[in-house]
Amino acid sequence: MAERANLKSSFSSAINSRSDELERIARDILDHPESGYREVRTSKIVADWFSANGLEVQTGIAKTGVIGTYDTGKPGPHIAVMGELDSLIVPGHAHADPVTNAAHACGHHAQIGSMLTTAAGLVETSIKRGLVGKISFMATPAEEYIELEYREELLAKGEIEFFGGKQEFIKLGFFNDVDIAMLTHTGGETAGTLGVGGSNNGMIGKTIQFIGKAAHAGGSPHLGINALNAAHIAIAAIHAQRETFRDADTVRVHPIITRGGAAVNSVPADVRLETYVRASNVPAILSTSEKVDRALRAGALATGAAVKISTNPGYLPAKYDPRLTEIYRHNAASLIGDDNVIELSHSSGCTDVGDVSQIISTIQPTANATSGNGHGIDYLVESYDLAVIKAGKAMGMTVIDLLADDGEKGKKIAGAFKAPMTISEYLGRMRSFRSSVTYEE
Amino acid sequence: MIPAEIAELRALALRSIDGATRDLITAAKTVYSTPETGFHEHKTSAFVQERLQALGFVVETGIARTGMKAVLRGAQPGPTIAIIAELDSLQVTMHPGADPETGAAHACGHHAQIGALLGVATALSAPELKGSLSGNVAFIITPAEEFIEIQDRLALKANGEIEFLSGKQEMIRLGTFDDVDMAMMVHTSAGNGSAAISVGGTSNAHVSHQVRYIGKSSHAGGAPDKGVNALQAAMLANTAINSIRETFRESDVVRVHGIITNGGSAVNAVPGEVLYEGRVRAKSVEAIAPIAERIIRCYRAGALAMGASVEVQTIAGYHALDQNPTMQKLFASNAELILGRDSVNVVEKHLTQGGSTDMGDLSTIMPVIHPYANSATGVGHGHDYLIEDYDRAVIAPAKIMTATVLDLLGNDAQLARETLSKYKPAMSAEQYVALQRDRFSAQTYNPS
Repeated sequence: MAERANLKSSFSSAINSRSDELERIARDILDHPESGYREVRTSKIVADWFSANGLEVQTGIAKTGVIGTYDTGKPGPHIAVMGELDSLIVPGHAHADPVTNAAHACGHHAQIGSMLTTAAGLVETSIKRGLVGKISFMATPAEEYIELEYREELLAKGEIEFFGGKQEFIKLGFFNDVDIAMLTHTGGETAGTLGVGGSNNGMIGKTIQFIGKAAHAGGSPHLGINALNAAHIAIAAIHAQRETFRDADTVRVHPIITRGGAAVNSVPADVRLETYVRASNVPAILSTSEKVDRALRAGALATGAAVKISTNPGYLPAKYDPRLTEIYRHNAASLIGDDNVIELSHSSGCTDVGDVSQIISTIQPTANATSGNGHGIDYLVESYDLAVIKAGKAMGMTVIDLLADDGEKGKKIAGAFKAPMTISEYLGRMRSFRSSVTYEE
Repeated sequence: MIPAEIAELRALALRSIDGATRDLITAAKTVYSTPETGFHEHKTSAFVQERLQALGFVVETGIARTGMKAVLRGAQPGPTIAIIAELDSLQVTMHPGADPETGAAHACGHHAQIGALLGVATALSAPELKGSLSGNVAFIITPAEEFIEIQDRLALKANGEIEFLSGKQEMIRLGTFDDVDMAMMVHTSAGNGSAAISVGGTSNAHVSHQVRYIGKSSHAGGAPDKGVNALQAAMLANTAINSIRETFRESDVVRVHGIITNGGSAVNAVPGEVLYEGRVRAKSVEAIAPIAERIIRCYRAGALAMGASVEVQTIAGYHALDQNPTMQKLFASNAELILGRDSVNVVEKHLTQGGSTDMGDLSTIMPVIHPYANSATGVGHGHDYLIEDYDRAVIAPAKIMTATVLDLLGNDAQLARETLSKYKPAMSAEQYVALQRDRFSAQTYNPS
C-alpha cells in the first residue's frame, strides 16, 4: 500500500511538471478538428507524442487510429486507456473548421489530452518499475456515428467494415488480449465534478432511399410518384409508433432527410433519409427497428414508390463495470474530494465504448468541465485542468491500483468480469445487424 | 294535334296546378316535418301512397322496401315517361328540421320533389289531359338516394332485403324501370345564380369503401407496448390519402373523403378496431378505378405501418349523370314559357360540382334529365339548407315537368319517339346490373 501511494505521488508530480504541454495539445486539437476516419493531423500529433515519450507506436489502424504501447516487460493484466480522435460537424461552432464545419462539440480533444496525461505520468521510469503487465494507449477514430454515406463508401472500398473506430479495433484484434478499458469523456453535469457509473443506449443506423418517379410537378403530377411524400408518410408512421416505446427501453428514433428532392418543379423521385434506432437493450433496438422498417415500407406502399432500407450495425449498449468503477471512484475522490464524485444516470446517447464494454471490463467516467449543449454550437471545455489533467490523473492512478502489487487488483477485476459476449460472438452479432433490402409492394 | 291544342292543354294543366298550390306546398312541408333516411321512409311512403290513391291511382308499394310506382295510362299507346321523386332525407343533426331522435333532416330538399310529383300527378289526372297522351306516365317514388348509413344498408343486404345500396339502383335491378322509356325529376338547389331553373351539367360517379382496421387492444396507459393501434393506422391512411391528392387531375373531378365511424371504444384502451368509411368520386366509373386502387394502397399502408390488418370492402356506388339534350331543350323552353325569359341557366354538359346521384345510374340505360330548381338558401347537405321559395321548389317544377310530358307524349308522342330514336343507351338494364355486381369486392390485407 505504501508503495502504491508513492507510485501515485510520483505519477502526479510527473504530470504537474508537464501540464502546460498537455493542455496545449488538447487546445491545438480543438483548433484543428477532423471528423471520423479523416483524423490525419490529429493522428500524427498523437503518434509523434507517443514516439517522443518512448512508447512503441502503431499507426494507420482503421485508417487513422494509433496505439502507443507501454510494456512493463513483466506478465500481468493488459489495460487500454483510450481517447477519441474525431470531431463532430457543427457549422457555427466557435472552433469549427471554416471549410469542413468539423468542430469539437463533444470534447474529444480533451480525451486525447487526458489519455496523454495518463501516459505522461506512467512513462516515468520509477513508476514503471512498480507495475506489471501492459498498457495500450489507444487513440481511436470515428466515435461519432456520422457521415454515413462517406463511411458506406469506405465500407464498399473495403477500408473499414464498421462505422465506429473501436469496433474496427476489436475486429482487427487489438482487444484480443486486453483485460480492462477506460476512457474519460467530457460532460456538462455539475461543474468541477467527475461522474462515474451510468450506462448508454445502443443503436443501429439506417440509410434509406425512397425511389419514386419524376414528372413535371406543375404540368403532370399525376404521372409522377412522389418520393418525398413517401418519406413524409414514413416519418409520420414512425411517430405513430412512439406510444409503444417502453420507458425502460429509452428508445430514440430521430430521422433526418439528407436528400429531399432535386428541383421544386419536379416531383421528387430520389429522397434519402438517415436515422438511428437507439435503445437501452438489443431486443428493444431490434423490435423498434422492425417498427421503423414497416413504417418506411408503408410510405412506399402508400405512394407506389420503392424503398431501399440499408441497416448498419451501430453501437451496443454500454454497461460499465461496477467493481472497476469503485477503484476509479476512490482515486477520483482523492483528487477532488468525495463530494465532487457524482453518480451518472443512464444516458440515451450512444458510444462505441459500449461495444468494448460488452467484451471486457470497462468504465467511461465523465469530466464535468464543459458549458453549452453537447453536440451544439456552444459546447466548450471550460476547465482543461479537470478535463485533461485531473481526468488523466484519475485514470492513471486507477491503472496503478490495477497493475501494482503484481497486478493483483487488475487480475481480480478481469477475472470477476462476466463478458456478455466473446469477441467472435460480438463480431457475429454486429454482422447480423447489417442488411439491405428493397421493398416494392 | 296541332300546337295550339297543346297550348290549350298546357294552360289547363297550369291552372290546375295553380289551384292546388297550397295543397302541394303543404304536402311538401308535411314530408319535411317527418324526415326519414333511406330505406326507412315508411311514414313518408304511406303519406305519398295515400295522396296518389286519393287522385285515383293504383299504387304499387313496397318496391325496394319503401319505393312506389303508379302508372297513368294515356288514351293511346306510346312511350312511358317516369316522373321521379326521392323519399329520403339526409342526416344532419344540427338542421332546424332534424328529427330530434334520429337526426334525420331534409337538408337536400327531397321533400319538395314529392310536392312537385304530386303536382304533375294532379294535373295529368284531369281527363282532358290524360286523353291527350299517346303513352304513359309512371310516377316512381324512389327510396334512398343519399348514399349514407352504409353499415345499416349492408345489414339489409345481408338479410336479402336489398342487393344494391340505393333506391334507383334497386329499382333498376327489380325491373321497376323495365317498362319505362325515359325519366325526369327536378332537384332543388341553392345559389345557382338568379335563374329559377338550371339545366345541364353532369354529376360524379362514386364508390364506397368500408374499411376495418384490426389492431390489438391493450391498456393505453399500462401496456401501450402490447397494443397495435388501429386508430393510428386509419389516421396514417388518411394522411397518405391527402399526400397523393397532387396526382389527381382536375379533369377527373376527383373527390376523396372519409369519416371514422368507429374510432376506438374507450380512451384508456389502445383502439383494437377502427372503422373508416371512404368515398371516392370521379367523373366516371372508369376514371374511379385507378384512383380507388391508389386509395386502397393508402389503407394498406396504414395497416403495414402499425402492424395491423385491414379489410377493405368496396361497394358499388353511382354512375355519372348523362342528361338527354332533347329532353333538356324541351324542359328549358317550357321553363322559359312558364317562368319567363332569363329564368333558365344552362350548364355546360360536362360540368359538375362533384356530387353524385343515382339518376346517373338510370341515365346509363335511358334518356333522363335532372334539372335544378334554385329555391333554397344555405349549403347543400348543411345545417342551414332550407327551401326559401316553395313556389320555385314545388310549383314551378310541377308545371314545367307537366308541360314537358304534354310536349313529349302529345301529338302522337312524336317528340318522345324522336328522342328515343336518336338515343343509344350506354348499356342495357341487365348489363347495368351485372356491372354493379362486379363493382362489389372485398379484400383483406394482413402484412404480418
